Amino acid sequence: MSAAKELDNANPTVLSASELPTRRQRKDRNASAKVEGIRAILMASPSDTLDPFYMSDFSDTDSDDSTIQPIDEQEIYDLIAPISDPEHPLSLESLGVVKLQDVHLTSPPDPTNPAGLSRVLVELTPTVTHCSLATVIGLGVRVRLEQALPPSFRVEVTIKKGTHSQAEEVNKQLADKERVAAALENANLMGILRKMMEPCLE
Amino acid sequence: MASAPPNAQHAVQIAALAEFKPPASSRAWASVPNPNGLPLLATATSDKTVRVYSLLNFTLHSTVEGGHSRSVRSVAWKPEPPRLNAAAKTVCLVSGSFDATMGIWRLKEGFGGRMGNVEGESYHSDGEDGTDGLEVEIRRGATDNVGDWDEASENADDWVFAIVLEGHDSEIKHVAFSPSGQWLASCSRDKSIWIWEEVGEEGEDEWETIAVLQEHTADVKCICWREDDGNGEILASASYDDTIRLWKDIDDGEWGCFAVLEGHEGTVWDLQWEPEVSWRKFQTEPTTENDDPPSIPQRLMSSSADTTIRIWTVQPAPPPPNRPSYFNPTIPSTMRPAPATEVWTCTATLPKAHDLPIYSISWSKKTGRVVSAGGDGRVIIYEEITKGRTTVGGAIETDWIVLGVLTGGHGPYEINSVIWCARFDTERRDEGEEMIVTTGDEGVVRAWNIK
Repeated sequence: MSAAKELDNANPTVLSASELPTRRQRKDRNASAKVEGIRAILMASPSDTLDPFYMSDFSDTDSDDSTIQPIDEQEIYDLIAPISDPEHPLSLESLGVVKLQDVHLTSPPDPTNPAGLSRVLVELTPTVTHCSLATVIGLGVRVRLEQALPPSFRVEVTIKKGTHSQAEEVNKQLADKERVAAALENANLMGILRKMMEPCLE
Repeated sequence: MASAPPNAQHAVQIAALAEFKPPASSRAWASVPNPNGLPLLATATSDKTVRVYSLLNFTLHSTVEGGHSRSVRSVAWKPEPPRLNAAAKTVCLVSGSFDATMGIWRLKEGFGGRMGNVEGESYHSDGEDGTDGLEVEIRRGATDNVGDWDEASENADDWVFAIVLEGHDSEIKHVAFSPSGQWLASCSRDKSIWIWEEVGEEGEDEWETIAVLQEHTADVKCICWREDDGNGEILASASYDDTIRLWKDIDDGEWGCFAVLEGHEGTVWDLQWEPEVSWRKFQTEPTTENDDPPSIPQRLMSSSADTTIRIWTVQPAPPPPNRPSYFNPTIPSTMRPAPATEVWTCTATLPKAHDLPIYSISWSKKTGRVVSAGGDGRVIIYEEITKGRTTVGGAIETDWIVLGVLTGGHGPYEINSVIWCARFDTERRDEGEEMIVTTGDEGVVRAWNIK
């Protein structure tokens, strides 16, 4: 509930701040390099190499190919890495919020069992220990994975131990499917999440 | 009966019986059978409607729509007195929504006329819309015309929106009528429980708020009424704050909390009071000089995100004046200081069979068996068996065993609700035979047979 309130206030600034610069960067990158400062260092090389994978992975999970090629940690990471931070026009990957080594996948012991469930655990590292948007970022990661992964994947998103002052509260909220479902019916919050997801769909 | 069967795991099979058609296109939250003997099942869905299915043929009977702007999370039928008087002809349900409101709905009186048109004749058994007549209509309509949900779904006027009950600040998580029908309770993410009473005559739709209970420190997920044992109906509530609280009319209309049940290590998702069949089975042997039935020492069962199912029992000894939990620093001191007057402790934990949150449990009024379901998609049936007796004439020691296991009941999807439900379909073996109804994230409601 506190997240929703913060978002109500944050909405206008976030929309303009995250949306436009992201597009500009992508255009600039394609037209070869006018990115400035820290963004160039953070974004350029990983994004250039990974961008094609985003595209192919996205279409993979949308089709039935997932039964042919098992989904691995890298693929899960690639689904969430380009999500943009709600406050900055930067990807969660470039901010170090999501890290490949913090994506954990447990596959069912018997892959032929249709009732077998895969478990995904993503540990997030907030940029500051009092990040008020940790819940929103976590929600974005959970929603992105639930939408992109097959329904047999159970997604758990937590704050990495020792990186946030209210990690337990955030973790409990993110694990509560009823709260998540209700949050996704909040138009303001959905607006934020849609903006965060935009880089995933480009 | 002194020991568990050696291979209890497969004592019963849970076999697919039917899928209710057509399913909802988005998440279905919970399904509840009509408690008044009508062959109807109400399903709360995230598409803002309640779907009412026929239990005769597992097809859609009607849709309750147009009242809510967000998910319908919970639905409850109004209990009617068993006698067939003028008041009993109403079929009434309440829907609780994420839009923070509750809707009271009544099945339109002209319902029989619609079925008459479909079938070319009227099935009124008594010339009135009495409960008997309605049941006949549904039966005949169902067996004669399997596709009658098409007709029903096209008719949005089956249910009349009677009144909206407002008061909660945020999402309503659960609504429940007390068994007598006197009270309606609702609980919300706003941490409160509201108790409502219908004050006018039947059909006048005048409701009053009797109490607002605000001692939980987080979302109240579930509420569950206990039948009147002579001292009034009491209410149990389960919360995101990991506790369970018990409430009752403490002092002539003043409702208060009289017990806090602590022990779960995660959100408590569901509650069930022990049915009579169960406590009769394990009650203390009557002594020769006292054959009166004992007062009802009903136990409470709870299921949690901590993947356990626990049974709670009231302790006979009077509590010390100040219980330690009363000073629990997590309970704000500003909360109303109604002292807890009963001590309830966890006296049993069911065998662990889930590894994700257990969203729903149901304790059969007919057999005393328990069924559970949750995020891992499993459906588990448990039975309580006699282990021995502590002393001659003393309490019976019992043990819980797993009777049946079903995995992937809804394929890869989570199961949000599970409930024992009387069968009405033509294949049933006898009246009162039970099946299990599960409700899944993919919007499908399924019926399961026990073999």
